[in-house]
Amino acid sequence: MSELLKIRIDRLYYGKRNLVENIDLTVNKGDKILLAGTTGSGKTSLLNSLNLMNQSYEGEIVFDGRAITGCPPQFLRSRILMVMQEPWLGEGIVEDILAEPFSFAAVRKRGIKKDDKMILELFDLFKLPQEHLKKKAEQLSGGEKQRIALIRALIMKPEILLLDEISSALDQGTSRIVAEYLLKSYPGTIIAISHDPLWQAHWQIQWHIKDGIIHIIQGGE
Amino acid sequence: MDISYWGLFFSLLLLAFPLFIFWHLKLKLTRQLLISFGRMIAQLALIGIWLQILLDKNNIWLTLGWLLIMITNAVIILRNRMKSHKRILAPIFFIALAAASLIVMPWVLFVVIRPNPLFSAEVVIPIYGMVLGNTMNSCALAMERFEGKLSDNWKAYYTLISLGASDWEAALPAFRQAMHISLLPRLLSIAAMGIVSLPGMMSGQILGGASALVAIKYQVMIMAAIFSSVTIADYLAIRLYLKWRFDQFYLPKEER
Repeated sequence: MSELLKIRIDRLYYGKRNLVENIDLTVNKGDKILLAGTTGSGKTSLLNSLNLMNQSYEGEIVFDGRAITGCPPQFLRSRILMVMQEPWLGEGIVEDILAEPFSFAAVRKRGIKKDDKMILELFDLFKLPQEHLKKKAEQLSGGEKQRIALIRALIMKPEILLLDEISSALDQGTSRIVAEYLLKSYPGTIIAISHDPLWQAHWQIQWHIKDGIIHIIQGGE
Repeated sequence: MDISYWGLFFSLLLLAFPLFIFWHLKLKLTRQLLISFGRMIAQLALIGIWLQILLDKNNIWLTLGWLLIMITNAVIILRNRMKSHKRILAPIFFIALAAASLIVMPWVLFVVIRPNPLFSAEVVIPIYGMVLGNTMNSCALAMERFEGKLSDNWKAYYTLISLGASDWEAALPAFRQAMHISLLPRLLSIAAMGIVSLPGMMSGQILGGASALVAIKYQVMIMAAIFSSVTIADYLAIRLYLKWRFDQFYLPKEER
């Protein structure tokens, strides 16, 4: 498998507190990785470090053969794309919200076009009625917002998808559908934080942070 | 038509009405009213004497020096009005106000009015006072709104940059809103001019004996100059601030 990301971090910290030490991880194309650990163990800091949203670490992260700190942030973030736990969608209707990232220069330069067919397929798959495309974000529930944020990320075809607790507002049934799609059908690479037992059981690789050390656990389906 | 000193004194007697209302409502503004009017009279008297000297001398360097003092004062006032990032805002405001002045004022002087002599203190100082005063107030409002919009919704900014937006693209909604809030009231007041309000400059010129037609021409010119200066300064100030506000990874500087 081709190597996509190399993470060599001597020290990941928050303020004066050390979170994780001696991180040496590799991400290959297509990997589905679950990042686990207790609250405050450094999961989100590590995830945020991968797309330049956090610089509180000593070490180097290399993406596609190049240190990420040397990449233009907008290009890196459109390729290593993060979906947050409580996503902000915007003020317009869902259709415009999904189209917005395609107006960014970095995304246009990648040559990715908005794929309406893919949007409709994902709406069907994630049990979202198509009428929601014409609804405003404030009319949607928390779970619907999470799914729309995920769709917005998926249609941008990132090389690595970083997911931070994206199923926290989903009911069990929908959470299962989303997890099954991401783990079984989605061809891309995923690094995800999730406390959902349903998700935890199915990952190929688990990076488990315990006592400031990352343990790599192979397993799941 | 001049006002006699007795007339001026009688004009201040009008303040008896607000003072009576303050007393009636036990509104604690009496001291502030006396301080404000006292300061205004002292400052205007001093500036009047100084302006008279400037106008009599009509020396280009003296006038330019005075314009520089005006702009420096505007920057200090603006800087003190801001709640945070004061150090960086002072040079930003200076550049924004100076650039707007350097674009608008030469046009007004050398193309529109063309006084004789060309750099006449009598024309430059009052017009620049009006342009700069309005630009300063607008700049403060626009900057406060821009920072306010950003700080109220960092989640929006972070979401957009995490989707591949540059700092400029992610801050653009806040930039647009700040400009809108700063400029729309001005456009509305321009639209109401003549029907609802008679602007100060026009009224002053008519009272000073100028013909209504001349007063109207000056008013149109000054409104165009002010609006143009305000828009340029707002834009430049926010644009420069935006450049400084985020680091090379587009993260807000104070957040790290």
